[in-house]
Amino acid sequence: MKKVLMGNHAASWAVQLSRVKMISAYPITPQTHIVEELSEMCGDGSLDAKFLKVESEHSAMASVVAAQAAGVRSFTASSANGLALMHEMLHWAAGARLPIVMVNVNRALAPGWNIWADQGDSLAQRDTGWIQMYVEDNQEVLDSVIQAYMIAEQVRLPVMICYDAFFLSHTYEPVDIPSQDAVDDFLPPYTPEVFLDPESPRSFYPLVMPDNYMEIRYHLDQAHTRALDVIEETGRHFGEAFGRPYGLVEAVNCDDADMIMVTSSTITSPARLVMDELRENGHRVGLLKMRTFRPFPVKAVQDALGGCSKVMVIDRNCSWGKGGIFADELKSALVNLPDSPKVFSYIAGLGGRSVTPDHIMDMARQTLDTEMPSDGSVWKGMKQ
Amino acid sequence: MSHRETIGYETLDQVPDTVISQGTMLWNRTGSWRYLKPVYRQMTPPCNNGCPAGNNIEGMIRLAEAGKYSDALRLLKEENPLTAVCGRVCFHPCETACNRKEIDAAISIHAVERAVSEHGREGYAPHPVLSASGKTVAVVGSGPAGLSCAWHLARLGHRVVVFEKADKPGGILRYGIPAYRLPKDVLDRDIADIEALGVEIRCNTAVGKDLPWSSLEGYDAVFIGIGCHQPRPLFEGGEETEAVWDALRYLTLTAKGDFPAGNGKTTIVIGGGNSAIDAARTARRLGNAVTVYYHRTRTEMPAFGEEILEAEKEGVAFEFLAKPLDLVIDNRKLRGVRFLKTQLGEPDESGRRKPVPVNGSEFVVNADIVVTAIGDALDRSVLPESLDCDTWKIKTAKMGATGADMIFAGGDAACGDHNIAEAIGSGKASACAIDSKLSGFDIGAARDVITIGSTDRISASRYIMARTGETTGPLSKKVADYDKLNTAYFTRGDRPEQPHLPVQERLAGFDEVAGSLSLKAIQGETERCCHCGVCTACDNCLVFCPDVSVIKRADGTGYDIDLDYCKGCGICVNECPRAAMAMEEDK
Repeated sequence: MKKVLMGNHAASWAVQLSRVKMISAYPITPQTHIVEELSEMCGDGSLDAKFLKVESEHSAMASVVAAQAAGVRSFTASSANGLALMHEMLHWAAGARLPIVMVNVNRALAPGWNIWADQGDSLAQRDTGWIQMYVEDNQEVLDSVIQAYMIAEQVRLPVMICYDAFFLSHTYEPVDIPSQDAVDDFLPPYTPEVFLDPESPRSFYPLVMPDNYMEIRYHLDQAHTRALDVIEETGRHFGEAFGRPYGLVEAVNCDDADMIMVTSSTITSPARLVMDELRENGHRVGLLKMRTFRPFPVKAVQDALGGCSKVMVIDRNCSWGKGGIFADELKSALVNLPDSPKVFSYIAGLGGRSVTPDHIMDMARQTLDTEMPSDGSVWKGMKQ
Repeated sequence: MSHRETIGYETLDQVPDTVISQGTMLWNRTGSWRYLKPVYRQMTPPCNNGCPAGNNIEGMIRLAEAGKYSDALRLLKEENPLTAVCGRVCFHPCETACNRKEIDAAISIHAVERAVSEHGREGYAPHPVLSASGKTVAVVGSGPAGLSCAWHLARLGHRVVVFEKADKPGGILRYGIPAYRLPKDVLDRDIADIEALGVEIRCNTAVGKDLPWSSLEGYDAVFIGIGCHQPRPLFEGGEETEAVWDALRYLTLTAKGDFPAGNGKTTIVIGGGNSAIDAARTARRLGNAVTVYYHRTRTEMPAFGEEILEAEKEGVAFEFLAKPLDLVIDNRKLRGVRFLKTQLGEPDESGRRKPVPVNGSEFVVNADIVVTAIGDALDRSVLPESLDCDTWKIKTAKMGATGADMIFAGGDAACGDHNIAEAIGSGKASACAIDSKLSGFDIGAARDVITIGSTDRISASRYIMARTGETTGPLSKKVADYDKLNTAYFTRGDRPEQPHLPVQERLAGFDEVAGSLSLKAIQGETERCCHCGVCTACDNCLVFCPDVSVIKRADGTGYDIDLDYCKGCGICVNECPRAAMAMEEDK
């Protein structure tokens, strides 16, 4: 069934199809539509789940942690300042190895107050132990939320699906909605081995002394490593089931490319046009869409970028005092390759500013025309 | 102690990846971190502390809440035989003390006591008495003090003879308090409980008149509770006229059915106390137009506010700042009263502002009947001359001991505070004092065990336990004041209004004005009670203890603290809603 849905409602439909049993959230623009729609579904009975209202995002994540610990598939969504307020509980969800799925609609952090697209909010949660995936269109929103439960429950790690404020959250696109039966075939019911069970009382998340902490954390890191395969595998299975395969990354025309553009989220779409135009003009240009950010797909990135001489990274984010975060992560993934490509870092589109094909063409031409990248990131689309 | 039952992991794979307990932490005796420990304690609830009769009010409410009305009645009668009476006419200082007034409104304790007295009759057996002592005590006067004294003496195994000058027992309860406040069958019921313990009441026997004091010499002890019934003339002359009445005489005649003059007469009542209001409301029922004159203002009136409001509803008018001068009598017939206007001056020794006459402000109010209610004095003419007394009272030491050997006194005749609960408390104190003399029990040594809260009032049940050698710890001298409660646990509720007879029906006779609350309303009131200072086994301590160190006793008598693991964090104490726990130094 195809429907024209805004990105937020694509997420809501995916949650419904995933038979989530517990939802807790606190409203924040531009995420609110997701949980509004879910509360309607809970209200009219089309989704058999408890919807728990809370007084803050911290409590939203805390109660989702509790529900998931009790063995229930759960969901929440947030953005920007709300996500920041969850920070402590994000660590808790991952450290407790709870397969929670949440949507973060990428929005800039204040001040100045800004409700528009910017990846700074979720990238600031990089080290909380969550799997992070960045998606490009509304269909991928729906598909990725369903895959997220599959991934999360196999490796027992929480998954955060991230997409751009307004460019996806509030924009309507045709979305193919799979049948419930098909999703049920793809995603089995959640049956955790260990959960909070009054019949078998245990202390959950107690003190761990120095003699064991490190091993437990090593297991967490290993789970991320395992997740690389699971994400690949899940994307492939999803393709088999629904005709839309996904991977850790999407590499387009990378095999013969001299220069490869690296993007994430909605900036990928205009970059596809720029790539086509440059190719028509005889430039061997490729595109690498970074769908997965954590775990960082080092091998996939090396495979895609290893053969080219220049990499151009567009970041809708900035690590203040360092530069584009994807660019930085790429560099560390490439640094030990023989003949490692040069990495050109561009920052564009912060706080919801449009990143047009013209902007991207400008970055591509600058990359093609310049032998050595500058030390820092180059800001594009700025007032002169 | 040094044995650590830890789970040891040798290899990386053995360490689980989920942070969930795989063993116990029992090896970690966190009690060693403690320097303070929680203890359970009983504090005295403010209601109990505020009851002049020494009732265990909180205990009554707890039993009533559980539907155990006869047990509640038995508990009340441990301290006070006149429960049905007090549920109606005590001015309930317990409610003034009730912490609930800081949250919503005081518990309607009097209504609960009234309900317990009604619904507790079924299953109520006469109280047990100690084995006969062979001693006999004479009680002179069968008012609340005498009846209380007789009851407790009888419970302590003594033979008691009560001498009453009137034809029926009860004193002020029967002849002073009008039937619309205290129906006489209610009084009879409480008195019957006293007689059921073998107390003999000899009516129509005025000691000091019909019977000389010397005839009581054969008794082992005497208690005098004759009240204050000597009228004080307000006016010089004129009081012989049949139109001028002392309030107590007016009320007594009405109670006996010998109704004083009525039917549309203009009646003036002079005074501001409860007797004035009783007389005024009685006069309204006799068909008179009634105005109360008081020389101060409403604020200074000693009468209970509720009584004043009900009087107003019944059509009693009030005039303030008017001091009576003399009667206006024309040809031996009362025409009215001459008053002088007053204004309020500086506070007097009672803290109330003094009325100061305004010169040249005389005025005359026409009246057919005048009732004076200015407080009666002690009738010294009927007392043995050996007693040391003044106009108002027999001088007594603690617990009613007079200067004379084995003669005690209580109630209005010996106390400054003229009210029923004080009289009941004083009769009880004297009963215990008399018993200690007769039995040789050292009451002084038992004071901590038998006195209630911060007061020196006696608990008779505790006295009996102490006297019979039952081990009892001291009663807490500390009162569980409002600021000691954790009020987060008390939700607001409503205090139910007692039903009242419509005014037209009231004025047609002497039917009881205030009705009983429904059992549902009583249940609500008992549930509203905070049980200040008393553990109700609500489990809050147990629920909140982060160390699972609060252990509930299987027999339901409370909790124990597992000191091996209690860290002394104090959360249980903080979360106790009713201050029934405290932290103390752990030595």
